[in-house]
Amino acid sequence: MATGAELPEAAGRRLSGGAWTSGLSVADFASCVDMGMEPVGYVQGYAVMQWSWFMSAGVLGPGMGGLGGYGGIRTGTPRRRGQYVEQWQCPHGFVSAEHRMYGANYELTWLETSWADGWTLAMGRMVDEAAALGATGVVGVVDATRPLAGGATLEFRASGTAVSVGGAPAPARPFSTYLSGQRLAKLVEAGFAPVSVVATLSAVRMLGYCITHYQLAGTNVGTWYGPAAGGVSGVGPVDQVNRAEAAARRIARERVREQLGTDILHGAVLERTEHEIGEGDLSIQCTLKGNRVRRFKDFDPLPDAAPVVRLT
Amino acid sequence: MREEVQAAVGALSSPAGEERGGRGTTSDLTIDETLLLHAAGWEPVDLVYGVSWWSIPWGAWQWTTGEVQEASSAFLGAFDEAAALLRGSCEHAGGSGVLGVGVEVRVSAHHVSIELTGTAVRRTGADAHGFEFVSDLSARDFVLLTRAGWWPLGLAAGASFVIAPRRTAREWASQQGQNVELPNLTQSLYLARERAMEGMQRSGTAMGADGIVAVKLREGRASSSVRVIQFIAIGTGVHLRTGAHRSVSPEMVVPLDDLVRLFDAKSLRGARGR
Repeated sequence: MATGAELPEAAGRRLSGGAWTSGLSVADFASCVDMGMEPVGYVQGYAVMQWSWFMSAGVLGPGMGGLGGYGGIRTGTPRRRGQYVEQWQCPHGFVSAEHRMYGANYELTWLETSWADGWTLAMGRMVDEAAALGATGVVGVVDATRPLAGGATLEFRASGTAVSVGGAPAPARPFSTYLSGQRLAKLVEAGFAPVSVVATLSAVRMLGYCITHYQLAGTNVGTWYGPAAGGVSGVGPVDQVNRAEAAARRIARERVREQLGTDILHGAVLERTEHEIGEGDLSIQCTLKGNRVRRFKDFDPLPDAAPVVRLT
Repeated sequence: MREEVQAAVGALSSPAGEERGGRGTTSDLTIDETLLLHAAGWEPVDLVYGVSWWSIPWGAWQWTTGEVQEASSAFLGAFDEAAALLRGSCEHAGGSGVLGVGVEVRVSAHHVSIELTGTAVRRTGADAHGFEFVSDLSARDFVLLTRAGWWPLGLAAGASFVIAPRRTAREWASQQGQNVELPNLTQSLYLARERAMEGMQRSGTAMGADGIVAVKLREGRASSSVRVIQFIAIGTGVHLRTGAHRSVSPEMVVPLDDLVRLFDAKSLRGARGR
């Protein structure tokens, strides 16, 4: 089932009649009704993907990561315009099976694309349901990912309450926002219109070269590993990891910016996870989510807030 | 309020930026924080970050007791580098300061990593007037602090990692079957605490702070060994700008909130909107 496809028959039947449903708390429900947002249905979207964070089978796939990706990088030929790639070379000048002559940081575009596919499918299906109900938007969106059937699957899920705003022209596509109730009221009063929820995942693989490997293993002791040899002896920054960490965050922010245009990302949440694939071999992921909002009017500055002590 | 919502929905029919120019900004502030900051003359600019890993060489944790200098140095080196990267990221985005900085600290046997993430802010409608501060305070705390005449300067941090000495055989034997204090562990905790607090105060003094507020402590066993005690202290260095503290004088209120209607959106408009 792709985004934009017709809803399953059962869903169509369920949505066509009966009592409306809502995932809002009573307080948020009352607040939304007060704003002229009538709940029309509790909508959901799901997508279950086959999943691997490491893609060890990537050597078999076209343009995938793993050793295939590393091999491609060593030729200095990035597979996608703008893809983050950096390389490091051993300064010691000898060959050994246990000595890592090359190191590389590279963006796992296949992982980013897969994640975006799953998230977009689930979110799109949720908004499709809202559109089928004739809703103006979806408020109080909640989204999450989890392994559904063992570690090789990842479920993307999204849910929210579809609302209808009477007296307003229906947007081409229902809006969506993580906010609801009073927080949504304040957003609108502050002059921002909710456009959509946005999210992205960035992933950077770091294959450490000898210096990074020694630093992470704590074996960078003595002058052999020191500045004279192009490395850091003893206490010091792990440059290759620092570059990977910065790249993961920069990519996440750039990807979100691509979705924003000139709109604003409000209430952003940046989460970082790390998978240690082996010694000196890391995969760093960042998810960045938030509300895309658009300024539709200027708002008066708040009156100076009065400090108070609550007697409760 | 209904008219406002209708106007907001109506604005979605026009493409982004068609009527109102400007570039997209990113912010992890809540709507309450955004509104409060705007009232105080500040606006968010961009989500910014600084991350640094520093290596701790093999052997640092062994064959000794007392403070592990390599680990403490690695922490401070990583923290300073992450703070410098955060500041650079803020300046690049055109911000004057960073608020609500989240601090993630990870200490393992062979490396320390520090992750700082926050929102760069600047004075409303103005270009940046040079870099002014980094703070882990919330927007609400920032507004209260500045109203009282104080100004945040930067994050002050100190850390110490101490290997506790083993008990002598006689001590071990004499303490069997009793619930008694273990002075070797207590003293190690105190040593780590003194070094960390001293380091944080030194860090505050170096940035010209009069004091450090909202200090957060993390103390306990380090993950690398049962005998390693860690103590980490992080806070915001502040400076009194007005010569004297200005009293905020809060009013006492008895809230009569109905949970359903906690907020009257029209109150945001102030006197002009009434």
